[in-house]
Amino acid sequence: MMATPPTQQALPADPSFDREASYQVYLAALLSGDRERCRACFEQWLAATADLRTLYEDLVQRSLYAVGEQWQQGKISVAAEHLATAISDSLLHLCYPRLFGLPRTGQTVVVAATANEQHHLGARMVADIFELHGWHAHFLGANTPPAGLLELIGRMRADAVALSSTVSANLPRLLQTARGIRAEFPDLPIIVGGQALRRGGQERVEQIAKVHCLNTLADLESWLSDTNLDVRRS
Amino acid sequence: MSVDPELAASMLAYVEDSAPILAFRLDSELRVRAPNHHARRTLGGNIEGNTFSSLLPDFMVTPDVASLAATPDAVTLITLGTATGMPESFGFRFFAFGDGSLLALGSPDVQEQARLQTAFLQLNQELNERTRQLHQANAQLRELDQLKTQFLGMAAHDLRRPISVITTYCEFVLNEARSKLSTEHQQFLRTSLSAATRMKQLIDGFLDLAVLESGRLQLDLMPASAADLVAGVLPTAQLIASRKQVVLLVDIAEQPDQVSADAPKLQQVLLNLIGNAVEHSLPGQRVWLTARTQPPGLAFTVRDEGAGLAPEQQARLFEAFGRGGPQKTAGERSTGLGLAIARMVVEAHGGRIWVDSQPGGGASFTFSIPATAPQTQALERHDGAI
Repeated sequence: MMATPPTQQALPADPSFDREASYQVYLAALLSGDRERCRACFEQWLAATADLRTLYEDLVQRSLYAVGEQWQQGKISVAAEHLATAISDSLLHLCYPRLFGLPRTGQTVVVAATANEQHHLGARMVADIFELHGWHAHFLGANTPPAGLLELIGRMRADAVALSSTVSANLPRLLQTARGIRAEFPDLPIIVGGQALRRGGQERVEQIAKVHCLNTLADLESWLSDTNLDVRRS
Repeated sequence: MSVDPELAASMLAYVEDSAPILAFRLDSELRVRAPNHHARRTLGGNIEGNTFSSLLPDFMVTPDVASLAATPDAVTLITLGTATGMPESFGFRFFAFGDGSLLALGSPDVQEQARLQTAFLQLNQELNERTRQLHQANAQLRELDQLKTQFLGMAAHDLRRPISVITTYCEFVLNEARSKLSTEHQQFLRTSLSAATRMKQLIDGFLDLAVLESGRLQLDLMPASAADLVAGVLPTAQLIASRKQVVLLVDIAEQPDQVSADAPKLQQVLLNLIGNAVEHSLPGQRVWLTARTQPPGLAFTVRDEGAGLAPEQQARLFEAFGRGGPQKTAGERSTGLGLAIARMVVEAHGGRIWVDSQPGGGASFTFSIPATAPQTQALERHDGAI
């Protein structure tokens, strides 16, 4: 059974909230670049959703996947896709009052999108999920150079590192970075995820010791619950 | 080369209706004629008849389009004002007709657009990351602040007892064994007693502050009038004033109104304010304590004739250790906590406290409390101030 952070349990979900209808309004607004309407929907979801992971998956992630598909099918321009990402990115801060200030476990994670990877939103949500579970998450953003990443892991005495890659072409860099981390920090858990790994390459990454390939935010929550449990036991 | 008329018509229709390029004619006076759909949508629906120079933002110099038409293969980057209000750059080519008019064809500067888009996205990302970091830092500061308050409370509580032992024995020896002590030894003991007393005051202040900041303040509310509240502090206040030969004047008009108040705590506020006023007064100067009805409650004012406060000194006056005030007139040492504690107690009553002062014109501290204090007496933390 997955542990849910206490402040989230305190928020009752609104059963009358029509998630699907609100999602469709949000998606349409996102595609047309209507930031204010997106914000209004996002706030509705925030008020009606007990846990942030559900909101991230069912609204932010789902809508961005839909936007990505529309772009792949040539229905929207790359500019529209970028605008949708920018809007989603800026709306996440509405969650922060519920995210920061939760009880701390004392653990630290460094989260980054790997070198050359410009898509950072998935990594940001991963960092937020860590925060939600009491970790202190250092989010380094897009296109993180491996040298800087290694330096920060050491300086922060990180208990884990999470790497994200969205574009398949960046997978070699992800592998290279993971190997670099393993060489310098033999026992450090490395979590990898992102759209790129859902299209293959997972087995190559998992050949590196203590690499956990997690496909969804729910998988990450399960891993975190187990890890936090271990910390409490130790 | 002959062009199939049907194909030519299709191409023309495409340029007219759908093509993402700006196409319009400039007459001999360089006025826009026959703009295509994209030009109207991008530059505005009413551009027909406007001069070409009027399409340019005011910071751009009008290019010599007639001479540009001499080299129709050259693409010239020209920035135009758009219907959205934002200037946009287009690569233009001009073609001259025999009647002196020109055909202008402009396409968006794709590279420039991509550059701007990347810059915008990076800026957006950076802003969002900074917002995230700020929230994170804010939460950490709150946590540290809480730890500080806990530590302060514990430390102060544990220090209080040994200091009480020191002051008690100092007083005992001074009273009971005075005859056996030399004058010098008596002075040593008085200095020790004075230092220990000051330390106790400081610790009491810390404890009050720790309780107030932790939100554990419980008000014991009872109906009280202004006269009740002032009567309780008057003997002590007179003593404080007389020690420095300051004249304390009390003015309580007939105040039938009562407020719901924790009298000892509000009296502590009054004493803090009077003590503060006396400390900033010279012998012979006056301090006024007045109380009046201020709907929906009461207001108390303590005014002095001291050096007054500059605006920058007033800014942090009610914060703990916010020693913004002028030098005390007799070199008194302040804990820097009195006004912070006063603010917290007044705010717990649902009231507010403020100062009116000008350099050289004395200072007037006023606090008002409503007739009914808030139901929940626990103080709210001032998270938003971090």
